[in-house]
Amino acid sequence: MAEAIIEVNNLAKYFPVTRGLFHQKKIADVKAVDGVSFAIHKGETLGLVGESGCGKTTLGKCILQLIRPTSGEVIFEGRDLCELSDKELVPVRAKLQMIFQDPYDSLDPRFTATDIIGEPLRIHKISRGKEYNDRVAELLELVGLAPYMGERYPHEFSGGQRQRLGIARALALQPQFIMCDEPISALDVSIQAQIINLLDDLQQKFGVSYLFISHDLSVVRHLSDRVVVMYLGKVMEISNRDELYKNPLHPYTQALLSAVPIPDPAVEMKRQVIVLQGEVPSPMNPPSGCVFHPRCYRAFADCPKTIPILADAGGGHQVACLLYETSRP
Amino acid sequence: MAPLLEVRNLKTYFYTQDGVVKAVDGVSYDVNRGETIALVGESGCGKTVSALSILRLVAEPAGKIISGEMLFDGIDLLKLSKDDMRKMRGAKISIIFQEPLTSLNPVLTIGRQISEGLEFHKNMSIQEGMEEATRLLKMVGIPHPERRVYDFPHQFSGGMRQRAMIAIAIACQPQLIIADEPTTVVDVTIQVQLLELIRNITKELNTSLILITHNLGIVARYALRVFVMYAGNIVEHGKALDVYHSPCHPYTAGLLGSVPRLDEPRKARLQPIEGQPPDLISLPAGCSFQARCAYSVPQCLREKPVLTEIEPNHYAACWVSQKGLREWQKQ
Repeated sequence: MAEAIIEVNNLAKYFPVTRGLFHQKKIADVKAVDGVSFAIHKGETLGLVGESGCGKTTLGKCILQLIRPTSGEVIFEGRDLCELSDKELVPVRAKLQMIFQDPYDSLDPRFTATDIIGEPLRIHKISRGKEYNDRVAELLELVGLAPYMGERYPHEFSGGQRQRLGIARALALQPQFIMCDEPISALDVSIQAQIINLLDDLQQKFGVSYLFISHDLSVVRHLSDRVVVMYLGKVMEISNRDELYKNPLHPYTQALLSAVPIPDPAVEMKRQVIVLQGEVPSPMNPPSGCVFHPRCYRAFADCPKTIPILADAGGGHQVACLLYETSRP
Repeated sequence: MAPLLEVRNLKTYFYTQDGVVKAVDGVSYDVNRGETIALVGESGCGKTVSALSILRLVAEPAGKIISGEMLFDGIDLLKLSKDDMRKMRGAKISIIFQEPLTSLNPVLTIGRQISEGLEFHKNMSIQEGMEEATRLLKMVGIPHPERRVYDFPHQFSGGMRQRAMIAIAIACQPQLIIADEPTTVVDVTIQVQLLELIRNITKELNTSLILITHNLGIVARYALRVFVMYAGNIVEHGKALDVYHSPCHPYTAGLLGSVPRLDEPRKARLQPIEGQPPDLISLPAGCSFQARCAYSVPQCLREKPVLTEIEPNHYAACWVSQKGLREWQKQ
């Protein structure tokens, strides 16, 4: 197995919910991320799927320390990033980059494309003058844009082109890891494929690792080597791609997969769809035991009482479900 | 039997400072009684505008229906007075909007918003309307409807708001429901719930449904016939099975090729459609897809293709396809 580039151990982020204007009293916690552990290997794409509000983005931001986690560790190059001060993090951030979901909100409208892509180079004082201009032009070409477009402002680009700018900016410092937070969900179908292929090409060229956050299971299957399924701040299942899609163990994963419609009427006619009842509960007041049990179609008497442990079900396929727990240590 | 709705050569233009946006430029389609059809295409292709035109909800004065005929049950909707049109909306034709949070009134209770149409079209009193609203909320699967009917939209979750929208749409038992991207803002597990609900209700009430979406999977699951739109035109239509299995327009084939499928072995690479959709203000003279098309012939640059029957009941607007060359099907 390839070596891990980032190790996440028991990571948690609780957002306090307060009441009162002056004497803010904490009344509860939103457990956005609750005890998550996994590793991201060198050069791989780790897919992270789940519904909105399950903590995917918070988890991603905690890894990059854009949000400081409540507890847990993020090990990168032998150091726990959670322990580092903001100042100590600056050189680390050059190696860990991010691509944002919304290409309309994540680019400064008053910057030209060159300013946007070059900002990391300026901040980290990597290059200046001709070298700087050459590097920006190189980055533009790398993501399929023409160097003369560097003088344009974000509003002069289409959605797909803007996302390319976001990718170029993330690549500027030659990072080892890029967190891609729903990078294609704001784009049209025919443009999505262009961006997916671009991400794929760049990974092969530079060997960069991705954490690919998405709610689109077909896209995650296409891009990822391994997949993490999250629900209400907890990991439900982790497995390598082919195993997960061929043999999903957790009832939630099974329901998610069956909910994805397949673009073929003949296939759809024969398909049995699992319709989950109800909606995702509030993370402020998560259900007892297994957080998924109120919606689970295979829940039994123990599920509301016992919190399942993420355990190996064979061949690195981990699942947190009492159906697969034989004995407790 | 004549179809419930026949749209012929509909043109809806928007007059902007930069020029005339030909959002819908000569679109024809029909919906049979009790049938579900799908309008599919990417953002800006005119699928929403062509549906809003049916309800005559295009924002004037910028937007204008230039020409066309829309026969609904034999009546041309474009010839109706404003008052008569109001009597159609909600009663005979209703719509489920994409974004329930912006399309529901934040200062009225859910119950009032459902009963509004009932009071207007069915002469119900407020009390009768609220009782009916409770029944409808129960029908769309809202728990504790007798209490929830007095809630305001912000007290509902996204999925529940869309259920309330469905309740409003079916309140007067219309003959046609237009669902404009009804599940784009909700999660997959909620999407399945809502679409199954819409399918069951339309079946139960024998309502026709126009499903507008960009999701090819949803079309495959729910629609019998499909109309593919590109740059304000319908470029291909036919039975969903035919369109998916032997696409006669390279754009349709391109769309199908650019999405990864869960049921097929993973492809090493996706085949995107290169380039961007054209600017609707300055459309090219010939085929509007020509610039992105890998199969174009010189004729595509000069002449705009018209919809022709390529296979039985399967139409496409493509010169290449008309010549019987359909290399994209081989992939």
